[in-house]
Amino acid sequence: MTEQTPLLLLIEDDPPFRSLLATTLEGQGYRVLATDTGREGLLAVRNRSPALLLLDLGLPDMDGQDVICRLRKSSELPVIVLSARHQESDVTQALDNGADDYLTKPFSNAELMARINALLRRVAKLPGGVQEVFQVGGLKVELTKRRVFTDGCEVHLTPLEFSLLSVLVRHAGFVVTHRHLLEKVWGASYVEHSHYLRIYMGQLRHKLEADPARPRYLLTEAGIGYRLFTDDTP
Amino acid sequence: MAGTALPVLPKPAPRWPLLNGLWGVAVPLGLTALDWPVRALLTPGNILLFYLLGVFFVAIRFGLWPSIIGSLTSVAAFAFFFAPPIFSFAIADPENLVGVSVMLVVGIVTSKLAETLRSQTQVAEHRERRASALYRLSKALAEARLGTEVIAIGVQHIQAEFGGRNTLLLPGPDGKLCYPDAPALAMSWRGADLGLAQWVFGHVRLAGRGTDNNADSPAVYVPLQGGGGMLGVLVLELADVRLLHVPEQRQFLDTFVGQIAHSLERAQLAEHAKLATLKMQEETLRNSLLSSISHDLRTPLATIIGAASTLETDGQLAEASRRNLAAAISEEALRMSELMVKILDMARLEAGEVVLNRQWYAPEEIVGSALRRLDKKLHARQVNVNMVDGLALVQVDAVLLQQVLVNLLDNAAKYSPAGRPIDIAVETQAQGLTISVADNGPGIAPALQDKVFEKFFRLHPERAQGGVGLGLSICRAIVGAHGGDIHVSNRRGGGAMFQIHLPLLSAPPTITPEEKGLPL
Repeated sequence: MTEQTPLLLLIEDDPPFRSLLATTLEGQGYRVLATDTGREGLLAVRNRSPALLLLDLGLPDMDGQDVICRLRKSSELPVIVLSARHQESDVTQALDNGADDYLTKPFSNAELMARINALLRRVAKLPGGVQEVFQVGGLKVELTKRRVFTDGCEVHLTPLEFSLLSVLVRHAGFVVTHRHLLEKVWGASYVEHSHYLRIYMGQLRHKLEADPARPRYLLTEAGIGYRLFTDDTP
Repeated sequence: MAGTALPVLPKPAPRWPLLNGLWGVAVPLGLTALDWPVRALLTPGNILLFYLLGVFFVAIRFGLWPSIIGSLTSVAAFAFFFAPPIFSFAIADPENLVGVSVMLVVGIVTSKLAETLRSQTQVAEHRERRASALYRLSKALAEARLGTEVIAIGVQHIQAEFGGRNTLLLPGPDGKLCYPDAPALAMSWRGADLGLAQWVFGHVRLAGRGTDNNADSPAVYVPLQGGGGMLGVLVLELADVRLLHVPEQRQFLDTFVGQIAHSLERAQLAEHAKLATLKMQEETLRNSLLSSISHDLRTPLATIIGAASTLETDGQLAEASRRNLAAAISEEALRMSELMVKILDMARLEAGEVVLNRQWYAPEEIVGSALRRLDKKLHARQVNVNMVDGLALVQVDAVLLQQVLVNLLDNAAKYSPAGRPIDIAVETQAQGLTISVADNGPGIAPALQDKVFEKFFRLHPERAQGGVGLGLSICRAIVGAHGGDIHVSNRRGGGAMFQIHLPLLSAPPTITPEEKGLPL
């Protein structure tokens, strides 16, 4: 065991799926600690200090949301939740409770690796904070100078449009829930006014996307939120 | 008063009883005043007849006691003013003495008769009132189809007739009595003792106010008994305990409650019958679903199991063959997964489990996310999007509407030759949102254009890559849940065009313009 191979904690109650994930992740060079209950998982977080948690939302002993809430009281451990289909509201709640990303079953190996790697990379970068300049494809955002370019041309954004874009940039590659965006950009009293978000997101797409109906950068996660495309995005 | 007839609740309180007694004095005195000037023309017999007339009047108008007072006053007035010696209560003439006695007896007897007549009229009136109350109740109940309607009507009519707030408790799914689901009416009572109600339900006996069980309770608990057993318990806030103790009233209450109970039973039986029919239809559907999907699931499973077992047991396989087998497993599993998703979606929509999560969305965004989900499948294909007012907000369930578009686009990609473009058109107007997805394939024969939306219908059942025949049924169910419609036609140049129309229910919300001081 070396310091370089991060330990991944997996909380999943279905034995075949658990063993498949463990085998796959070990095959990719990670160390894996697999448990089948939330209680054991939380214990392992304290004792083994893993680098990342993969959490199934439907657990036998306690609600996955509970696991996230308890975890967030004492730890910043990155969390990816694994959900079944038609659980958009559960996923949204998990993200609002502090989970970092999600995957919907069934997912491919590539998707899983992309999410894990992106999250680990973000954590590694964190001490330095968010980079001043964000760039993907032809889109470039300078956060402190408040300037935005597409294919080298500067684009004028209104203060709110820029504010919305900068929240996404700070979470680039990760899904950001509607609630989170409304709260950060418009304030806590606007969290139910999702139409503000839709209108501004539409405006932003028309300014930044070559084809707003087939966006490349500002991606919609239906029923959950938005994700700013990065080169890691599967 | 006569025990057979009265009292009636609410009891018509005799107004001014003292005043009624005074009429018994006033009428004879008035007659005396009338007779006095013409006393020379009248015989004592005539005068006595006048007094008798007055007593009749008092008896009919004011009842027994005023008329007895009237009789006595008449006798006294006659003795004092008309029977010699005048101005003295003495009666000298034996003939007058006999007259007075007879008048007294006749007066009292007729008073009694008039009184009986009066009370019989009253009884008839009350009977009439009850009969018409029962008639109104049964008329209202006859129109009720659902148990909840019967309960609402029952509660209203009980309040109207018995003047107390009340409620009907029915057993819930767990057999325990509970309040009806419907919102409480103004006359509904929510302060019932559910434990006591449960006792009444179990013992089929009255309890609560006016009974020997929990007499201090503010309400009486009446069992609701149908032909097939106990249905529930009526809890009636009781102002007057006499309701239970006067036999006629009690009988009226029982009849009233009995009628509600029978209507409730009828409604419940009808609901059960309807449920049973639905269940039977579901059963039939389930069977056809099972036979249809078992084939679709078995085919990929055969491949998966075969390939997996070869990989497991055959150690000599060449690397290329191993990869081929693994690819086959992955491909077939993906196909199975897609089938399962469709089947589960349909089941959820059919079961009515899906509650629309309508929010304001721009159609452009929904189209965009659907296209992104199909990125891989549409990879090599040209998709033309023609959007009119794509940013105008519409109130829809974006996840479900996206599913509709994904299904339509998936079909378009599946059933039109590779390389031919797919055209999407979106138009938002005041009366609704129209989205069309058109391909450049062979189109759909007009005779089949309605059938394609039916469950398990497939245009090409022989083709292996075909789905389970649920995609378009799911589309129709989702569009239907939005109150819209979906249909298909053939384009002039060839190819099928699916068109969705969703009505817009309300005008989109406006937002405060950014310049007007929103937080930055």
